[in-house]
Amino acid sequence: MSEHLPETNYLDPEVLQSLGDLELVAREVVEGLRVGSHRSPLRGFSTEFAHHRQYSPGDAIRDLDWRVFGRTDRYYTKLYEAETNFDCTILVDASASMNYGSGKVSKLEYAKFLAASLAYVVLKQRDSVGLSVFDSEVRAYLPPRSAMGVILQIDKLLREVVSTPKTSIAQQLHDIALMMKRRSFVILISDLFTDVDDIIAGLDHLRHDGHNVVVLHTLDPYELEFPFKGIWQFDGLEGEEPLTTQPERIRDDYLASFGEYMEALKEGCVASHVDYTTIDTSRPLDAVLSEFFHLRQSTLNGPSAARP
Amino acid sequence: MSFLNPLLLFAGLGLGLPILAHLLNRQKVKRTEWAAMQFLNRNVRVRSRQIRLRDLLLLCLRCLALLLLVLALARPASRDGAMSWIPGEPRAGVVIGLDASFSMAHGGEGATRFDRALDQVEVISGRIRPGDPVSVILLGGEDKVLIRNMAFDRERFRELVQKAQPVPAGLNLDRVPRRLRELVGDMEAPQKEVYFITDVQARDWRRSSARFQEALADLRGDAEAFMVPVPGVAANLAVTELDLVSGTLRKGTTARYQATVKNCGTDPVANVEVQCRVEGVQIDSKTIPVIAAGASETVSLFVPFHNAGPTRITAEITGDLLATDNVRRAVAVVRDRVSVLCVDGSNGDAGRLIVSALLARSDGARDEDYLVRSVPWLALPSQNLDEVDVIVLADVPEITPQQVGQLSRHVRQGNGLVWFAGQNVKAAVWNERTASGANPLLPAKLGPLVDTSTKLGAGRPLDPAMPDHSVCLPLRSLPEDLFSETRFLTRLDVEPTPSSFPILSLAGSGAPILLEHSLGRGHVFQFTTSADTDWNNMAQTPVFPMLMQQIVTYLAGREFEQPRVVGDSLSLSYVEQPDASDAVFDTPSGDTITVPVREHRNQFVAMLENAREAGFYVARVSVQAPGMPVAVNVDPGESDVVSLTASELNTNLEGIDITVAASDAELAAAIDTNRTGRSSWRQFMIAGLALLLIECFFADRLRSRKQKRGRQPDPVPETLTGAQDA
Repeated sequence: MSEHLPETNYLDPEVLQSLGDLELVAREVVEGLRVGSHRSPLRGFSTEFAHHRQYSPGDAIRDLDWRVFGRTDRYYTKLYEAETNFDCTILVDASASMNYGSGKVSKLEYAKFLAASLAYVVLKQRDSVGLSVFDSEVRAYLPPRSAMGVILQIDKLLREVVSTPKTSIAQQLHDIALMMKRRSFVILISDLFTDVDDIIAGLDHLRHDGHNVVVLHTLDPYELEFPFKGIWQFDGLEGEEPLTTQPERIRDDYLASFGEYMEALKEGCVASHVDYTTIDTSRPLDAVLSEFFHLRQSTLNGPSAARP
Repeated sequence: MSFLNPLLLFAGLGLGLPILAHLLNRQKVKRTEWAAMQFLNRNVRVRSRQIRLRDLLLLCLRCLALLLLVLALARPASRDGAMSWIPGEPRAGVVIGLDASFSMAHGGEGATRFDRALDQVEVISGRIRPGDPVSVILLGGEDKVLIRNMAFDRERFRELVQKAQPVPAGLNLDRVPRRLRELVGDMEAPQKEVYFITDVQARDWRRSSARFQEALADLRGDAEAFMVPVPGVAANLAVTELDLVSGTLRKGTTARYQATVKNCGTDPVANVEVQCRVEGVQIDSKTIPVIAAGASETVSLFVPFHNAGPTRITAEITGDLLATDNVRRAVAVVRDRVSVLCVDGSNGDAGRLIVSALLARSDGARDEDYLVRSVPWLALPSQNLDEVDVIVLADVPEITPQQVGQLSRHVRQGNGLVWFAGQNVKAAVWNERTASGANPLLPAKLGPLVDTSTKLGAGRPLDPAMPDHSVCLPLRSLPEDLFSETRFLTRLDVEPTPSSFPILSLAGSGAPILLEHSLGRGHVFQFTTSADTDWNNMAQTPVFPMLMQQIVTYLAGREFEQPRVVGDSLSLSYVEQPDASDAVFDTPSGDTITVPVREHRNQFVAMLENAREAGFYVARVSVQAPGMPVAVNVDPGESDVVSLTASELNTNLEGIDITVAASDAELAAAIDTNRTGRSSWRQFMIAGLALLLIECFFADRLRSRKQKRGRQPDPVPETLTGAQDA
């Protein structure tokens, strides 16, 4: 997956956890990615230069390209794809299922680092970033801002959340959509352990409101591979009936069921023009982000870019 | 149901191991909180329950298979009854006791009793299944186990049984149940059967004790018991005795032997010819006109000795149904000459009387090769004892330790010593020098004088304490009144040594008059009375010359002149420690048996424990040494081949639960009726192995299914690349 990337010592999630300061975590992750890059990998979120056109009266003087005037003695105006600040809203699922972690870092912890890092990236581009935390209902909403302090607020918000089992993700996404005043770039970080149709309904709502939606499907490696051996009792984090079984004997059935779910989810995302990415919480965060941005760059003309 | 290897049932405890492992595994349940419970859905839960059920089924199969295998190894056996529903096959361990005493060689009915017994063995073996344990013992003499606990194989069994032959020995009936029981005890089988095939010789059964009956009854507790009688007619003649009656075994003389033929049958037999052979050459023949039923007749056989050295003598009859007892054997060691030295310590009477008795001949002729002389006791040191065969010490007052050593060595070399008491004998000196130590010279320690006269002043008469002793044999031919003329007035009280035995004693009191013990290869006779007429009138009666001549003949003989009976031991004594460590015995059949020389009570002896064959053995002190023939005869008692009748047998077996099968048909029917034991180990083993196979098949099928699934591509997409797909 990372063959195209330069040799980099990625930051282990457990190391990030030990840092404590979320801003520091975000800086470590993001700045690490910038080192040695000739071109920012963060393009795509920013307001992009499009082309020049000849100045016509009424155009803003500040958009005149004085360097071109100096060379050609003609007035040209710089045109941008977006003329306003870019809003990014990060939705973090803080339901009880996100507390699972086969290693030292739970999915929620990983989501926190991920959200902070993404917020740092956005803020570095001088765009605004907001945050919403939800489980069975929307627990907190932080409107998009461009101040770096938002990262600390993200940390504070996530700390205060008392996880409860989620019932329906569609309702939460609908409520969040109502809170967002402007069309925004929405990043959903969740394990999406609920009904696929419910998820797709929620995503459709966001898309219908004109938001550009990216799903970062955060999963633990044990959930992906189910590598348990021996006899295990599985206690559901969201109140499900426990199951005692020999996991290696039912692994095939689990993976089949899981595969069907993933397939349906991805098909739904494609149909709803939602970018979908699976995040393995055992992988270093900077590597995950690097790959994510690389993919973003190569899919700028994809479905989400077509409808900003 | 019983188990032949019940201890192996403890292996069944091993069944607890898989169950324990199962329970322990259940205890080792690890717990985890789990977010993706929606994928552990109903299907997975149902499958999980199926897996648990399947595991339980496999566990049960495995335990059941192990249980069946353990039961199979424990060899379950049952008899018809409540457990008859358990599958099994009729099985029995068979012990066959075959009477192999030589009476079984009697061929009165066209075939010998032994051959008919083998026919019965064939009937029994026809009903033994291959693989069943079987033992065969030949009962007779030492009892030889022919087959011990062999897995039955018809050809091999027949081959071994056909080699069996009757032995020239009798049957110890009392020992039979014990021997059969030993073999039964060694055997493991669901049912055990014991067959005793015998000619039910009346002689044996009459002698059997109550213990035999009890042991036979006890045997029934261990096995089904069958008695298979193969009786025969009683007609049988046997040469029961062949003894030297008179004459000295010297070259150029003729000895008289006496052969006794017994008619053991129930009808008189006429014209029985007895042939005497010396070294295989017939030299005499006598015909007995008639022998009444149950009676014995004796004939005298005159054997001339033309050569010195050991001579094989046989008395033989022919044309009898039982050949084994038709021959009687004896060995005579013929000397070139016999020299007797009488050392006289009396006033001269004793020496004179002894010489007269020894030289007494019917024809009065003097024989140059038979030298008897008397010397005063003071002349003893000057005598060359090497040329003397028998030394007679008569009333010798005392003796020096050197002379004791000289005499002792003389006897050990195979010569003889006769000692007479008398008025001059100093008992204390003799006791000190000849009656002490590990191997005293004399058979008894001397005591005080005892007056043996009766109230009327007459002496007490003589009584043979061992009538069958060679010395007593000629006395038995004397008329009773002549024999009782010998009277004893005085004797020395004696204290016999443990190795001595009395030959003649006083009538009434039983006090010994003549004692004997062996010393090395020779013998010592000790009279507790005098040779002269001071203490008795023996020297004035015909008893004295007969007794003295017989003693000299006996003492001039060699160690193995006395015939042995089958089963006796043959011992070869040495004068000094031999160079060779082993002695050699050649058997009549030509085999060679090497026997180690052992030291026993300061003497060196080589002993062949058991003479198994009848005939002439040859004993050698070493492989290269010249042989000394030894006559070994059969026990004449076994010649009485009369069998019990059916009613007598039933009477003998009254109260004992034993099946008597008198014919082939009865035997076959009895076996079929009584064989109810069944072995189920094979069925248990097959069932256990089948269950194991089923268990393995299921387990393997599950494993292969799992592996097949494992080879399928992982349905979970790679992380992040899914975004590209999307």
